[in-house]
Amino acid sequence: MAKGTNDAQLLVQSLRKAYAATPTSLKIIDLYVVYAVATALIQVAYMAMVGSFPFNSFLSGVLSCVGTAVLAVCLRIQVNKDNKEFKDLPPERAFADFVLCNLVLHLVIMNFLG
Amino acid sequence: MATSKVEGSSSLRHAFGGVLSVFILLLIGVVAFSIRLFSVIKYESVIHEFDPYFNYRVTQFLSKNGIYDFWNWFDDRTWYPLGRVIGGTVYPGLTLTAGTMWKLANSLNIPLSVETVCVFTAPIFSAFAAWATYLLTKEVKGPGAGITAAAILAMVPSYISRSVAGSYDNEAVAIFALIFTFYLYIKTLNTGSLFYATLNSFAYFYMVCSWGGYTFIINLIPMHVLLCIVTGRYSSRLYIAYAPLVVLGTLLAALVPVVGFNAVMTSEHFGSFLVFIIIHVVALVYYIKGILTPRLFKVATTLVLTVGIAVCAVVVAILVALVASSPTKGWSGRSLSLLDPTYASKYIPIIASVSEHQPPTWPSYFMDINVLAFLVPAGIVACFLPLSDASSFAVLYLVTSVYFSGVMVRLMLVLAPAACIMSGIALSEAFGVLTRSMKFHITKYFECSHTEAPAKLGESTSTESSAPLENMTKSDTTEKPEVARKEKVARRKQKKEKELTENAHVKPVSAKKEKRPLVLPLEASIVSVFLLIVLGGLYVLHCVWAAAEAYSAPSIVLTSHSHDGLHVFDDFREAYAWLRHNTEVDDKVASWWDYGYQTTAMANRTVIVDNNTWNNTHIATVGTAMSSPEKAAWEIFNSLDVKYVLVVFGGLVGYPSDDINKFLWMVRIGGGVFPHIKEADYLKDGQYRVDAQATHTMLNCLMYKLSYYRFVETDGKGFDRVRRYEIGKKHFKLTHFEEVFTTHHWMVRIYKLKPQKNRIRGKSRKSKLGSKSTSSKSGGMTHKNPWN
Repeated sequence: MAKGTNDAQLLVQSLRKAYAATPTSLKIIDLYVVYAVATALIQVAYMAMVGSFPFNSFLSGVLSCVGTAVLAVCLRIQVNKDNKEFKDLPPERAFADFVLCNLVLHLVIMNFLG
Repeated sequence: MATSKVEGSSSLRHAFGGVLSVFILLLIGVVAFSIRLFSVIKYESVIHEFDPYFNYRVTQFLSKNGIYDFWNWFDDRTWYPLGRVIGGTVYPGLTLTAGTMWKLANSLNIPLSVETVCVFTAPIFSAFAAWATYLLTKEVKGPGAGITAAAILAMVPSYISRSVAGSYDNEAVAIFALIFTFYLYIKTLNTGSLFYATLNSFAYFYMVCSWGGYTFIINLIPMHVLLCIVTGRYSSRLYIAYAPLVVLGTLLAALVPVVGFNAVMTSEHFGSFLVFIIIHVVALVYYIKGILTPRLFKVATTLVLTVGIAVCAVVVAILVALVASSPTKGWSGRSLSLLDPTYASKYIPIIASVSEHQPPTWPSYFMDINVLAFLVPAGIVACFLPLSDASSFAVLYLVTSVYFSGVMVRLMLVLAPAACIMSGIALSEAFGVLTRSMKFHITKYFECSHTEAPAKLGESTSTESSAPLENMTKSDTTEKPEVARKEKVARRKQKKEKELTENAHVKPVSAKKEKRPLVLPLEASIVSVFLLIVLGGLYVLHCVWAAAEAYSAPSIVLTSHSHDGLHVFDDFREAYAWLRHNTEVDDKVASWWDYGYQTTAMANRTVIVDNNTWNNTHIATVGTAMSSPEKAAWEIFNSLDVKYVLVVFGGLVGYPSDDINKFLWMVRIGGGVFPHIKEADYLKDGQYRVDAQATHTMLNCLMYKLSYYRFVETDGKGFDRVRRYEIGKKHFKLTHFEEVFTTHHWMVRIYKLKPQKNRIRGKSRKSKLGSKSTSSKSGGMTHKNPWN
């Protein structure tokens, strides 16, 4: 058991060290993803407390958070310099696609919000 | 110098090829459009079948009243007295598309009527579907395969059967949406671009708007993602292709009123959510694997597994409990009948009774996809050489659609694009190999025109073979990867088996090879190309024949050829026109549900049940009424305010799809809800008959009486041309109904409910109101409850 916790500590430390090496721009995107997921969880908790009556509003709220998180992850994949598949994709193009997809997502959300 | 000249000529060839492809695609579109016009030429520009009439009526309403009224439309002229919420129960894609085209044409001052637009929607979209097939197959294999697949799809009989001019049904646009959505998915998978992912979501939205078969897409794509993950082909492009589609797609699907919250609550969509979670887990695992050393990664996995398995077990237990608590495990009836082919016949007789829901027979495969049936296995093999994400998707699509087409003959339509893609790939590969062989031999012949044995590799020994192979490796560097593929594709031609075995022996002998392109002998190649062209010609012949003879019947107008020329049976429209002109606007007409859509659309009268079949009890009520004796039937119909009853009878002319042939289904469906109707009462020794040996219940039921009333007057003996015997009860009178109209060939017969007598002799009863009032929604009449 001690070995287990020791291993876990070692694991966490090495994860931290490796993560610290990522560039700042990617860290900002990761922070945004965490924020979106946290918002989604807060909404689910709220629904658990007060009930799901306008279900379409609940759905559109949660799915908009999840949607922007997913799109941010896609942006991170495309902008990451370590990714060999996307090395000839200019980051401006990736960001433009991200903005377009978000626009569409939020248009649909506004329609569905009721 | 030489290289630039080669480049110049190759770019010129590419340009020429590009222009030629555009022309070929245009011609393919023209072929797809024109092959579907046979019914317009042979009959007239009329809407076919039953379902298209409903779509046509909805489109008429849309064009007259605009989209807001359409979205909120409550139709009270059907399913009397329940009505139907059209806005919330119809898939709006088809009607909105046709309405938009009509509006566009009229705004450009091209005066097309709504009917013309509706009739020709399907051929136009089949041309689009052919182009979408070109794009999809180009992504899977290459432009040559794309053009072949597009040409094949333009003519495949299975697709023609549901998209002929006049067949204004959901599949007309849905198949185009299906292929286009798959194309965009594969394009996103190949390029990893988020832009195409957005377009993919839009195409999926269009598919959800158009057809209930969209559940096929939302289950096939997750299956493919799972397949890629399991076979080790996970990449970040896969994540970009799948994850935005799930989120955007679910939201867009929930926007369509028919689907609504089903997009998140029914089992049809759970698969996509499950794979959504799985792909996130896999992505996280790959990310962590990338930033940790291998030893630490092993530690991480053991830690996560011990904790993770416990959590997973709890979550899975909750999910299973939730799903198992609903009797259908969350699936809708129609989906269940696809997964378990015996489900419908046990629980939902209405779904089981539709003829297009029966499993297909073997001949129908050869009728519907013809030559493709044996080109498909070759295409599957070609997809594996080499295997890419896109080709694995094509194989998965084919396999699942083959399974579903085996369950329901109607779903052969979903098999058609898959079969066309596979056959296009197979044919294109075959042509590539054969023409390459021919080119090789011909250039070799011109280069060394003296002596040297022509490269008949198949019969040469190993030493001789190495020389021409060396030549080959120098001149043809681009075709190396196609080595083994050629071997397998050629396997199906008997002539080449000999060369194959010898080629296989030749292969390990030569010293210098990495990938040796093997060529076939010149004569074999020429003969094979010729045979393939003949095969293509036979396919085209069959498709044109099928389109002209088998699938162009509008089924509202029938023709028959006899010794004295062509007979046209226009009885249906005659009957509906009679109803339209000789009855009051608010009169209700009762008939079997098959004719509901046509009655509301053409006769413009309120019906009791129609083809939507959403309310089983209501249909069972009508079925019970048709199976009961006259008085009981009159009571049931009177309680529904019915004024006219319509039956279809084919006995005089030999029309086999009449109500007497459908009668047992009426009994079964009625008996499913009202237990006093028992099927055994209508069968004599287990056999269904209406002649003198028939049971008493059968000879006295309403359907028999309404079909055969005064039938004996036609030929004196009452010989039924469909059943091929004389009927049982020949001379009888109707007590509660009176005949008001019978069409020219006795195919449609309309009866009116007789009003009740003012005085009932012999017994002291409360005198009932005998007025011929039409709408009796007020509580003025005292109705006896027929079900006590």
